[in-house]
Amino acid sequence: MSEQIDQALSRKYDAGFVSDIESETFPIGLDEDVIQRISAMKGEPEWMLEWRLRAYRSWLTMEEPEWAHVHYPKIDYQAISYYSAPKSMKDKPKSLDEVDPELLRTYEKLGIPLHEQEMLAGVAVDAVFDSVSVVTTFRSKLEEAGVIFCPISEAVHKYPELVKKYLGTVVPRSDNYFAALNSAVFTDGSFVYIPKGVRCPMELSTYFRINEQNTGQFERTLIVADEGSYVSYLEGCTAPQRDENQLHAAVVELVAMDDAQIKYSTVQNWYPGDENGKGGIYNFVTKRGICHTNAKISWTQVETGSAVTWKYPSCILKGDNSVGEFYSVALTRGRQQADTGTKMIHLGKNTKSTIISKGISAGNSNNAYRGLVQMGPKADGARNFTECDSLLIGDRCGAHTFPYIESRNPSAIVEHEATTSKVSDDQLFLCKQRGLDAEKAVSMIVNGFCKEVFRELPMEFAVEAGKLLEISLEGSVG
Amino acid sequence: MSQWLQQVIDRGQAIDDWLSPVREQALESLRQTNWPNRRVEAWKYTSLVPLEQLTLSSDSTKTSTDIADIEGLNSLDLIFVDGELQSDITAMTLPEGLHISSLRDAADEQKTTAKALFSQIKPQRHLFGLVNDVLAEDGVIIDIDADSHIERPVRITNLSTQGQESHHRVLVRLGNRSSVTVIEQGQGEQASLSTGFAEYDIGEHAQLEHYRMAMHTHKAIHIGGCHFSLQEQARLNSTLVGYGSQLSRVDVDIIHNGEHAKAKFNAIYLLGESEHFDLHSTIEHAVPNGTTEENARGIVGDKAKAVFNGRIHIHRDAQKTLAELNNRNLLLSRRGQINTKPELEIYADDVQCAHGATVAEIEEEALYYLRSRGISRSQALVMLNFGFIQELVNQMPNQALAHWLQPKLQARFAEMEVK
Amino acid sequence: MLKIQNLHASVEQKHILKGLNLDIKPGEVHAIMGPNGAGKSTLGYILSGREGYEVSEGSVDFQGEDLLEMEIEDRARKGLFLAFQYPVEIPGVSNMEFMKESVNAMREQRGEEPLSAAEFLKKAKEACKQVQLPLDFLKRGVNEGFSGGEKKRNELMQMILLEPTLCILDESDSGLDIDALQVVANGVNSQRDGKRSFIVITHYQRLLDYIEPDHVHILANGKVVKSGDASLAKEVEKEGYAFLGQDNAEEAGA
Repeated sequence: MSEQIDQALSRKYDAGFVSDIESETFPIGLDEDVIQRISAMKGEPEWMLEWRLRAYRSWLTMEEPEWAHVHYPKIDYQAISYYSAPKSMKDKPKSLDEVDPELLRTYEKLGIPLHEQEMLAGVAVDAVFDSVSVVTTFRSKLEEAGVIFCPISEAVHKYPELVKKYLGTVVPRSDNYFAALNSAVFTDGSFVYIPKGVRCPMELSTYFRINEQNTGQFERTLIVADEGSYVSYLEGCTAPQRDENQLHAAVVELVAMDDAQIKYSTVQNWYPGDENGKGGIYNFVTKRGICHTNAKISWTQVETGSAVTWKYPSCILKGDNSVGEFYSVALTRGRQQADTGTKMIHLGKNTKSTIISKGISAGNSNNAYRGLVQMGPKADGARNFTECDSLLIGDRCGAHTFPYIESRNPSAIVEHEATTSKVSDDQLFLCKQRGLDAEKAVSMIVNGFCKEVFRELPMEFAVEAGKLLEISLEGSVG
Repeated sequence: MSQWLQQVIDRGQAIDDWLSPVREQALESLRQTNWPNRRVEAWKYTSLVPLEQLTLSSDSTKTSTDIADIEGLNSLDLIFVDGELQSDITAMTLPEGLHISSLRDAADEQKTTAKALFSQIKPQRHLFGLVNDVLAEDGVIIDIDADSHIERPVRITNLSTQGQESHHRVLVRLGNRSSVTVIEQGQGEQASLSTGFAEYDIGEHAQLEHYRMAMHTHKAIHIGGCHFSLQEQARLNSTLVGYGSQLSRVDVDIIHNGEHAKAKFNAIYLLGESEHFDLHSTIEHAVPNGTTEENARGIVGDKAKAVFNGRIHIHRDAQKTLAELNNRNLLLSRRGQINTKPELEIYADDVQCAHGATVAEIEEEALYYLRSRGISRSQALVMLNFGFIQELVNQMPNQALAHWLQPKLQARFAEMEVK
Repeated sequence: MLKIQNLHASVEQKHILKGLNLDIKPGEVHAIMGPNGAGKSTLGYILSGREGYEVSEGSVDFQGEDLLEMEIEDRARKGLFLAFQYPVEIPGVSNMEFMKESVNAMREQRGEEPLSAAEFLKKAKEACKQVQLPLDFLKRGVNEGFSGGEKKRNELMQMILLEPTLCILDESDSGLDIDALQVVANGVNSQRDGKRSFIVITHYQRLLDYIEPDHVHILANGKVVKSGDASLAKEVEKEGYAFLGQDNAEEAGA
């Protein structure tokens, strides 16, 4: 029966279409001129360009990390185009009516209608297409509450003080190879600021789409939740089905001031490549948040896409009593490789962190959890609980766990547990005997396995995530 | 190429004995090896600076071989001082089925056994294993005939003295259906280096009871390992006890090469002052139907630092494997440090694998229970802390050894600062 | 012996005891009954000094001293013994080592010499016999892998060895079959000497068939709502806790 599962795990990728949109794309290659041109395209102030150039110079001195449990051919950074934008975006459309209808159709096909009246109530969307933000919805409603939600390129102009104050404070320019690259060439992304004491009136969401060939996507997101505020932010992403690998190297920085709360959810569905490992996105992402006193940051991710994933959404628990959470489902199949997890850095007293990671491996894929829990000498009474479960479907895949625990405080408690299990023939037999088809049975078992994580997702996303897994496993068993 | 490795290579090349041909490969590997820094995963938490700074003296004054008997153990003692065998094996009466010879003076038959073991079980990735390959001129070859059950434990002790280095090698082959107990003990306090490596080939249905006591303290640097290959239905019960010195590191590999083998590995480390102890264990399930259970427990006080890396690797097709690893640590001091990483790498789906690691305090509930019976808080802490280690001491199959070890651990523990 | 006045206490900000009064004289056996969640076990924990319980009002006098001011171990040394409902398992610490340490702490309190290993072993063996625990239980880790009944008997064995003045038995009958129940009851009865006092906390009346109480108190919603003699327990057995009234019962159950 395992063979049946295995065979059929070649799933279709619904978001694999290409939109026919005329784009302005830089020629491939990267040097200081390219960075100057990106900066000029965005009409950036001098300080921003300077920041980028510094990042670029430190990137040149760095080496691509090789410690992750993933293998891919060496990336030629000179064979990538670092900027691509729909031509129609050149003169910024003032309203949705001026946006290229083909663009709107693209998002509709992806299930993200951008006309406010058609949207899910209570979700504001920033749509990023290749290197630029296409449209941000519900802005006036958010402005009433004092919430800033706009493309980061716009924030650089409109809120330079805020951007200057926080950009690069959580993920420094030269934090790692991919973060440095991003700092040099990032093109767009979202900026969010929630003022003191404000509970953001709706879910904020960014939808990333790579369309153009041979381009990389380097978006940068910065979310600042001021004292006592709350925001829930969702992120989705897709890309067309192409034979070449494409690089996505994003940086996300979260700042949760005293008593603030940020909930950050991701459904990552970049094109994973075909069953033979041809094509797909390299998803090399740096996500990190800092928690001040009594603050809380919660990362939830459902990772089903990308050919290679390298991603560790982390929390620096700097303030006393701050809380970090990481809930993750990572599904790999075909030839996908994922090395994902989190870092919880406990610096303050009575800081708490929870890590729940569910890895599902199928086909010939490899799925690794990599995490770090660090208890600093001043983290009196700090607590961590980690649970990593792996589910293997078929006997050609791999499931791995690499948890690093470093403790320097006698009153801190760290607990880590990891288990593996499989979808057994017995379970399948039982389900079939009760009249379920095997496909449904696997989907049920997988969904049950992921329940703890799904329940952390906002409602709309939970449904989407469930569906995504179902599609992923569709036709998986006969 | 580091200076340190270069001198090892130079010395190794100069050695001309019957093992020279087998050393060649290790020499070649060493020539290709970079001196590890903290970016090398295997040495992430352990610095080799103390080794680089170690000054050895050229004049060797072998002191007397002062090894205390263990009451009730009735062991066959093989005593090394600075890596050189002092015991006269020819004068020993060995039980039937047990053959022991020194590496230096091995007879032809023993040489054949040794060549079949030397560097055949120990994986090539251990840098200091290669160093030992190149420099080990002395050691013992233990060969147990099939169906022989050796009652008397074999105890191999190496003493490191001031300014000396020792690179001895232990090679043990258990014939099918045989059984034996081997105790490896290393000791030393003064500035010295020892790289003791042992390789065990456990035959079909054979049973090995094994102890490794890495009791180096203070300035005595120890970097060694023990490596086991389990054939079909083999049984291994191994206990490791680690003290800490300025640099003490042990690598253990348990490799299931035959189906239906069972391994149990317990490790205890108890560190105080500025001691450093690093245990890297790797469980390889290369074939189906194997079972491994590993329990490692450590207590770290004062400014000591413990490193544990426990890897379980289930190869493709090693179905029906059962492997569990549990690492628990108590950190007693604000200046101490515990770094632990249990790893799972799994390529087969029909397996039961789990690992857990904790760094914790004594359970409040247990403390309350003891206090509610009139025991003071500080006394209760001592009892509970030691109880944590005691559990594994109690599991040692050899009672005489457990009785000998217990007060030693207790004394060590008493010297540690309990908050 | 023990006088509890207007005791208010909470755990995790939940108000559990709301003005409890109790007066226990030497040699008396008091049974405390009540529905689940009435605060019965909380009472035992507070008297023994468990951390995490906050007393906001009231006083507890134990043999002329303020009990609430004492450390956990000092309460024990002055003769207060709590037999736990769910004793914790402590692998690695043997029962023998544990009890020897404990007995000698009591002796030190009384100004007596510590017992030698042989003297202690003799006493421990006797105690084991009395509660029908096999001798090898002394060598095993404290409560490690013991069945529910064995744990209860181990608690009783400790009580016999420590010779306390006030024994609090927290649901010592729960989960026991009739034979085990009798062992526990006999153990308790053997310790009744006219001076030693007992608080028997139980949900059911059946233990009281074997340990005849002098007084029975019904605890509901954090205070004693009814007191009487042994016949009160029989009444509860027949009528249940319904007589507490709907409000009380619900609140107590919540």
